[in-house]
Amino acid sequence: MTAPTKEATTTVKWTGQSMPRKEDERLLKAQGAFVDDEGMYRMGFAHYVRSPHAHARIISVDVSKAEAMPGVIATLTGDEVKAMTEPLFQFAPKPDGRALEEYLLGVDIVRFQGEAVAVVLAETRELAVDAADQIEVEYEPLPVNIDAVAAADPDSHVLHESLGDNIAWEGVYDYGDIDWALEEADHVVKIDKLHFHRYSSTPIECNAMLVNWDPGTDMIHVVSNNQFPLFGALVIAPSMGVGVDQFDFVSQDIGGGFGIKINSYTHIGALALLSRKAQRPVKWTEYRTEHHQSGGHGNERTFLDIEVPVMEDGTMLGFKVKAFDDAGAYLHYEPLGAVIWSQVTPGNYKWRHIRVDYKETLTNKCPAVPNRGYSRMQHLWLTERIIDIVANELGFDPVELRKKNYVQPEDYPYETPNGCVYDSGDLPLALDMALDLIDYEGAKDMRKAAVGTGKRIGIGIGTTIDSGTNNFAQSQILNPELPFSGNGEACTAKLDLYGEMALTLGTTPQGQGHETTAAQVAADILGLSPEDVRVSAGFNKAHSTYIGFSGTYASQFAVTGINAVIGATEKLRAEIVEVAAFALEADQDEIVLSGGMAGVEGDEERQMPFMYIANIVYANNAILPIEMAQRLSLTCRYVYVAPFEVPDIERKFGNLTLTYSTQTHVAVVEVDEETGEVEILDYAVVDDCGTRINPMIVEGQVHGATAHGIGGALRERFEYDEDGQLLNSNFLFYHPPTATDIPSIKTGNIESPSPFSGTGAKGMGEGGGAPLHAICSAIQDAIGKDGPIVDDSHNPPERVWRMLNWDGTTDRGVTVVSKNGD
Amino acid sequence: MASKMGYQHNITFALNGETVTADIAARQLLVHFLRDDLGLRGPKIGCDTGHCGACTIEYNGKTIKSCMMLATQADGAEIETVEALAGESGELNPLQESFRQEHALQCGYCTSGMLMSASFLLERNPKPTEQEIREGLKGNLCRCTGYVNIVRAVQATSGKEVAQ
Amino acid sequence: MLLAPVDYYRPNSVAEAVVALQDNPGGRVLAGGQSLISILKLRAATVELLVDVSRLEEIRSITPLDDGSVRIGAGVTYDEMAHSPELMAAMPAVAGIAGHTVDPQVQNRGTFGGNLCHNDPINNFPPLAVALDATMHSTGPDGDRDIDAADFFTGYFSNALDRAEVLTSITLPALDGREIGYQEVEIGEAAARAVAVVATDNGTITQARLVLGCLAVPARREAVEQALTGAATTLDSVAEATGGAGDGIDPLSDPDASSEYRRAMASVVAKRAVMEALGGQHG
Repeated sequence: MTAPTKEATTTVKWTGQSMPRKEDERLLKAQGAFVDDEGMYRMGFAHYVRSPHAHARIISVDVSKAEAMPGVIATLTGDEVKAMTEPLFQFAPKPDGRALEEYLLGVDIVRFQGEAVAVVLAETRELAVDAADQIEVEYEPLPVNIDAVAAADPDSHVLHESLGDNIAWEGVYDYGDIDWALEEADHVVKIDKLHFHRYSSTPIECNAMLVNWDPGTDMIHVVSNNQFPLFGALVIAPSMGVGVDQFDFVSQDIGGGFGIKINSYTHIGALALLSRKAQRPVKWTEYRTEHHQSGGHGNERTFLDIEVPVMEDGTMLGFKVKAFDDAGAYLHYEPLGAVIWSQVTPGNYKWRHIRVDYKETLTNKCPAVPNRGYSRMQHLWLTERIIDIVANELGFDPVELRKKNYVQPEDYPYETPNGCVYDSGDLPLALDMALDLIDYEGAKDMRKAAVGTGKRIGIGIGTTIDSGTNNFAQSQILNPELPFSGNGEACTAKLDLYGEMALTLGTTPQGQGHETTAAQVAADILGLSPEDVRVSAGFNKAHSTYIGFSGTYASQFAVTGINAVIGATEKLRAEIVEVAAFALEADQDEIVLSGGMAGVEGDEERQMPFMYIANIVYANNAILPIEMAQRLSLTCRYVYVAPFEVPDIERKFGNLTLTYSTQTHVAVVEVDEETGEVEILDYAVVDDCGTRINPMIVEGQVHGATAHGIGGALRERFEYDEDGQLLNSNFLFYHPPTATDIPSIKTGNIESPSPFSGTGAKGMGEGGGAPLHAICSAIQDAIGKDGPIVDDSHNPPERVWRMLNWDGTTDRGVTVVSKNGD
Repeated sequence: MASKMGYQHNITFALNGETVTADIAARQLLVHFLRDDLGLRGPKIGCDTGHCGACTIEYNGKTIKSCMMLATQADGAEIETVEALAGESGELNPLQESFRQEHALQCGYCTSGMLMSASFLLERNPKPTEQEIREGLKGNLCRCTGYVNIVRAVQATSGKEVAQ
Repeated sequence: MLLAPVDYYRPNSVAEAVVALQDNPGGRVLAGGQSLISILKLRAATVELLVDVSRLEEIRSITPLDDGSVRIGAGVTYDEMAHSPELMAAMPAVAGIAGHTVDPQVQNRGTFGGNLCHNDPINNFPPLAVALDATMHSTGPDGDRDIDAADFFTGYFSNALDRAEVLTSITLPALDGREIGYQEVEIGEAAARAVAVVATDNGTITQARLVLGCLAVPARREAVEQALTGAATTLDSVAEATGGAGDGIDPLSDPDASSEYRRAMASVVAKRAVMEALGGQHG
């Protein structure tokens, strides 16, 4: 029986406050535990041998010289891996069963520069590198393809013979009646091509892990910074022929993840095999160059033949497009991105007629993996480019055109053409607030005043939507056979022997402050201070506080994690109340919890500290009725399950995520006409993520997402040459923004509580890549309405300079067909 | 004093006020010596090329990247790492406290280096302008905060005594 | 990454360094290491012996000379240049450029001499040294010699020093009323850079030096210098004179910018550098 929750004791006190984080003290004093800070007795250091070729047949791998070196413990090659494992699980084989084959190390053929073909274990880091240099690999180069559109050509060189072609997944998402809309429209705006570039959030801590396959217990201990360990286990355990129960995953502090660190699972598997072979623990810390070449990149996507039906008054009916997503050489987490974008199919707009012909293809590049804004930001960049290009071509004001086409405040909950339910928001207000923050009228005056000075001012808007808490059933749109649906998270709330309050979570935070927000929420429920709540940092499989979805990714902690905390803590509260009521000889509904005491309301004589309650349950249980003693443990595990149904797979229709935060960004940029350099003069963000549990943390996430977008828009790009060589394999040619590159960011917020999340909070933090949209929009504004369209998401000085110097001899990239013959 | 030629070297230096003596390989980077041999967690490693600044320490009173120096080169030097910032009983110094109050760290990985650069900046220029702060932190990459709150934290510490 | 096995030696004097380099064909001078250590970590070069000159006091001072020139030890760091009262008094622009090199940590460790010897096209000092007619002083097995900056840089990452020769100091001649302009287009690293050294009299440019960086060898643009000499100190006339600054140069394309763009930017930074030297807007 559960005691009713008393109004008086759940009065919100800590939730909603910008309290400093519990995590910070240890991190500020260098007492955090990042993987490379840790060690294991007798560990050796691993170093990989990686392919210098983008595509080549492996003729031979000779480890003999390396193995003969003093200090070398063991080596492992692809052939050995192939002999002892099965290919990795693939999410969406073709309907006839064909699938690509991937092993934990490269086997027979390498398909991207940096693919691991062997790994060596040595007594020191330096010796491991020296030994890897002595492993001789003979390659026979094969044709290289780095173009995702060309890869779809049936005549293109096939990367994976077992797949038969280079199409990782294809499908048509068709909603409403786009053919009718194009027929009906007063104007059809046709855009030839838009290209969203490859980049990644490049966490400063690269992948790292300690792996020990204990020969005695057959347990595989993994201390890692992987941010979704159970996903990794799902893929590698069957390949390795081990049970998931054999994996003992632990993580504590993670130096940034942003999705990229989901991808380290192949290394976990390969290093486990190496550990088993060597009978030694293995430590591996990825180097920056390895991380850039093989750690995972964000999705690159090319949009072709875009057609947008527009009515005379600016009402836009939808769009159609062919999308080509570049998976790279293997499918890591992909092809989930091929459906995840559809969480935000119409962007923020009331567009009802949409057809997306989606193909994900394989190229000789590093695998694409989730990266902040995963798969949605590429699509939202398309919707935002569409609205600005339409405004430009048809002479609409971009502010008014947005407001006209936005989902309106009174429309929520709003069902999109593909059945997603946008929960709440106020986009017109958010836009007005953002424009006020940058003094829109003043900025327009500046823009006018700049004419003829050699500098141009551009003002740009990006309005995006951050869908949080995936319904994993959407994976069935890719493959109806997949046994995945729903989402959730686990939490265990515990009162320990002396009354200490402790929470364990299934999440793997990388700076999102879970220890703090979880403590805030739990403290309110138990009448404690967050100081009194110890929250274990990171993921520890031994706690058994996890479900298959546990981890930190896809903007969901504020919903799944916090609801799990609430559920577990409420359960614990009920047990505390029950024991207190028994011990104090009171009714359960008379008990109030406050300041670490449980007492009878209004009777100061009858109360007891949590320590007494814990003592009774842990060590003095003979005083309890046997039934209570057996039932109560003060260790309460709760799994929050998000309320989802399986979508209509045939129609690709259903609610794919639980909450939808909105972001409205406005950028004012100055473009140097002579150099093409873009300087951000002013930048505003209005974020609406519903109820905020810790506004300071929310604001920090907004800043971070903004900086990633600005970096992607202006500085960061992974580019391959035609031989498939990565040109930005470290920070020499890959330029994350520094403190001098990011402006002061002005922020405002709206809180439109989600009706679906319980607390009103929404997932947030990815931010939808809004700066990419706002900056492209601002650059377009600066280029002027008769220039070429901004058709790439990455705009370094040279690209802008070329647009400024456009001489009219090439296409602008856009045409308009109007009914009245304009 | 001249060192001997050879792959192995004996070095002595002051680390956070304590004398350290060790035999090390000539090729070992200072950051690896500090981390792997001495067990410090403060200096972090984030790149191969000296761009990220996570390994920033003070070397003879000035910030340097400890991944861009050999450990042998530290012979005779005075080195201070982020471990020296907090007070004797572990209390955060004013700069660290400002970082906490302003939410100037998220994952915490760049924080050690960032604190060292910010300390050096404030030692030299106790009341920096925003632009001077940004220039002073230019050698330290942070991927979580967009630098917004880091700049605020340094501003909040401006004028306070941060040097030990 | 990590270095391959290497030997290390810290001599007591330049003379000892030269002997060590003479005795070890695989030897190389290590100064601030802000480029060399990176190269060794990536195992992009093979070095058997590192001869660490970074502490040699004989190459670590800044000396103003009576004729207004300044002699800067090769082992002086950017930070020391930026904060040197002597250099700030004699050539504040040079101190300012040093103080904006890369980032504070690099300024604290990287050396003037290392920057010049390494001659990475992204380095800031090679074009400055050429524009100022610097003299490079070195010590080698055959004794000391002076090399004109114009002859010192011989190609990407290479210089005129012999293998066992050590750059010891650099003399920057007196400015004698000339002003320095220094402009760049930066895309992560510098993509185009120009240094102008200009003297004026009553609204007319009387003397001009213009050198482009970001090239294999800093390129003095004599035609531009001639066009500038006698030109009015106005934006229009400077723009006209520097319009062809990029003609004929052959910068490398890299992931940050194409050769074509860099060539086009040469005239932009040239114009801006001259205007800066004239104390006006950057153009």
